[in-house]
Amino acid sequence: MTRTAPVAPPRTPSAPAPEPAAVRRRSRARGRLSDAGYATLLAAPAAVVLLALVGWPLVKLAVDSLYTGSGLGDGRSFAGLDNYLTALTDPGIRAAAGRTLAYTVIVVTAELVLGLAVALLFHRLGPKARILQTLFLYPLMIAPVVAGLLWRFLMIDNVGIVNELLTRVGVLGNPGDVSWLSDPDLVLFSVALPDIWLTTSFMTLVLYAGLQAIPPDLYEAARLDGARGLRLLVSVTLPLLRPVIAVALIIRGVDAARAFDVILIQTDGGPQSASETLSLTIYKTMVSYNDPGTAAATSTLFMIVMMLVAMVAVLTIWRPGKES
Amino acid sequence: MSHLLAARIRTGLLWAAAVAVVALYAFPFGYLVLTSFKPAVDAIAVPPTVLPQRFSLDNYLTALQRPGVTASFVNSVSTAVIATLLSMALAIPAAWAITRYRSRTGRILMAGSLLVRMAPAVAIGIPLVTILGAVGLTDTPTGLALAQTTVALPLSIWLLASFFEGVPREIEEAALVDGCGRFTALRRVILPVVSGGVAVTAIFAFLASWNEFLFALLLTSVRAQTTPIAIANFQSQFGLDWGPMTALATLYSVPAVVLTLLLQRRIVAGLSLGAVKG
Repeated sequence: MTRTAPVAPPRTPSAPAPEPAAVRRRSRARGRLSDAGYATLLAAPAAVVLLALVGWPLVKLAVDSLYTGSGLGDGRSFAGLDNYLTALTDPGIRAAAGRTLAYTVIVVTAELVLGLAVALLFHRLGPKARILQTLFLYPLMIAPVVAGLLWRFLMIDNVGIVNELLTRVGVLGNPGDVSWLSDPDLVLFSVALPDIWLTTSFMTLVLYAGLQAIPPDLYEAARLDGARGLRLLVSVTLPLLRPVIAVALIIRGVDAARAFDVILIQTDGGPQSASETLSLTIYKTMVSYNDPGTAAATSTLFMIVMMLVAMVAVLTIWRPGKES
Repeated sequence: MSHLLAARIRTGLLWAAAVAVVALYAFPFGYLVLTSFKPAVDAIAVPPTVLPQRFSLDNYLTALQRPGVTASFVNSVSTAVIATLLSMALAIPAAWAITRYRSRTGRILMAGSLLVRMAPAVAIGIPLVTILGAVGLTDTPTGLALAQTTVALPLSIWLLASFFEGVPREIEEAALVDGCGRFTALRRVILPVVSGGVAVTAIFAFLASWNEFLFALLLTSVRAQTTPIAIANFQSQFGLDWGPMTALATLYSVPAVVLTLLLQRRIVAGLSLGAVKG
C-alpha cells in the first residue's frame, strides 16, 4: 500500500476565525489550557511517536554512515566521510542510481499516459461507466508482493501466459522468443510492468477527479472558438489539469524511486544486477555484504537527493498558491 | 439522421474501448485466481491455458498445510489491527489540532509526514532493526506494527486532515456553548460527523500494514512472519511451486478486495480528496 498512499499537498493555512467572546471568557474562567496549548497537547503524541520511530532511526542512520565495520559494536571504527566517498564512486552504486532514475521515468511516464487516456475515456462516458471505474480500481488493493509474483508467473520464459498469448495472436513466432525477466536489456522494463499495472489506477483516479473539477463552460467557450479534439486537450484540459498532474507525478515519482518489493520478488535485481535499483542495492549492501556504513551513507545521500528533487518539483511544477 | 448515427457509433466505440481496457487490466489477477483452482500439475502446464480444465481445491489445501502459513495469517491480522488502532488513536487528535487550531506542532507534523514519505523505507527500516531489537521487540507483531505505523500514521494524518477540513467550526462552538469540554466535543460531536472519513482512513491504514513487505522482511524471522513473507518464501524454498502460491496469494487478497468493495465509493472519495485538494 505504501506505493499508492495518497498524500494531500500542503494547504496554505488560513487565518483562524475569531471565537465567540463568550466561549473565550468561559474557558479562561475555568482556567483551562489555551487553544494553542490544547492543540499542542493533541498533536504531541503523534509527534513523539514519529520522532521515536522515524526521527531516531534517521539520526542513527546518519551516525552509522560515519562508521565502518559491523554495526554490532566491536570492529566499528570512525571513518569520517569515507563511506560517502565509496557511495559516490562505487560503480555498482552509481549504476544502481542510474537504473533507479530510468525505472522511475519508465513507470511515471507510462502511468501518466495510460492514466490520462483512461481518465479521459471515463470522463467522456460519465457516471454510467461507474462499474467499469470500480473494476479498474481493484489493483490498488493488491499487495505488491502478490503483484510481483503474479507478473513473474505471467512472464516466465516460454511457459508464461504472456508469451503464449503473444504467440497465438502472431506477435511472437515462438513463446521462447522474448525472455522478459532474464534478458538484461529488457528486464528493467519488465520489472516496471507490475508497478504500472498496480498504480495506473491511482493516476486515473486523481486525473479523473481533476477533470471533473473543470467547469464545462470553459469547453463550451473553446468549442465556440473552433477548438476540437487534440487541440482542446492541449490548450484547455492539460493546462487546467497542471496542478493535479504535478501532485500525481510527485507522489508517484517518489514512490517509484523507492521501489523495492516488486523488483525483489521478480528478479532479486538480476540478471547481472540489470534490474537492481538503489533500494535493492542498499538492502544488499546491508544484509548480504554486511557493510552497514556504506549502506547508511548511500541511504542518506538517496534521501537527500529525493528531498531536493521533490522540493524543486513542488516549487517549479506545482507552484502552490500561484494560479497558472 | 446520419449525424445522429455517427454520434451513436462514436459512443459505442468509446464503450468498447473502456470495456477492453478494463478487461485487459483485470486479466492478470483473473488469471491468478483461475490458476489457483487448477490441479497443481496443470498450473504449470506447457503451453499454459487460461481456463482450468478441471476444477480443484488441492492448491488451497497444500498451501494451508504448509508449516507457518496459518500462523502467518494470524500475524498479518494482528499486526495490521495494532498498526491501524495505533495510527488512528494518534492521528485523530493530531489531524484535529492541525485543521482546527492551525498549531505550530501541527504544521511541523504535516511537514514531517511529507518527509517520511520521501524517505526510502530501507533508510528507516535498517536502523529500526537495531532500535526495536534493543527494546526486545524484534520478531513480534507489536514491533512490526510499530514499524508500519511510520507509514500508516503520516498517511492517516493527511487523509483525516482533509476530512476534518470539511467540518464547520460552528459545530464545535455549539458543543462548547452547550457545556461540553473541548475534548468531549471532539469525541462526541465532531467524530460522528466525520465517521465516514475515519472509516476510510482506517481502511487505508489497515491496507498499508496488510500489504507491507520490507519492514516485515527486515523485522520478522519466524514467530511474527506475515503472509507476504510466507508467500515470498514459497518460491525460494520449493522452487516454482506456482499452484499453491497462487492459492495463497488469492486467499491473501480476499480481505483487501472485500473491504474495498464494501466501502468502494467512500474510498474513491478519500483517494481523490487526498490527492487533489489544495
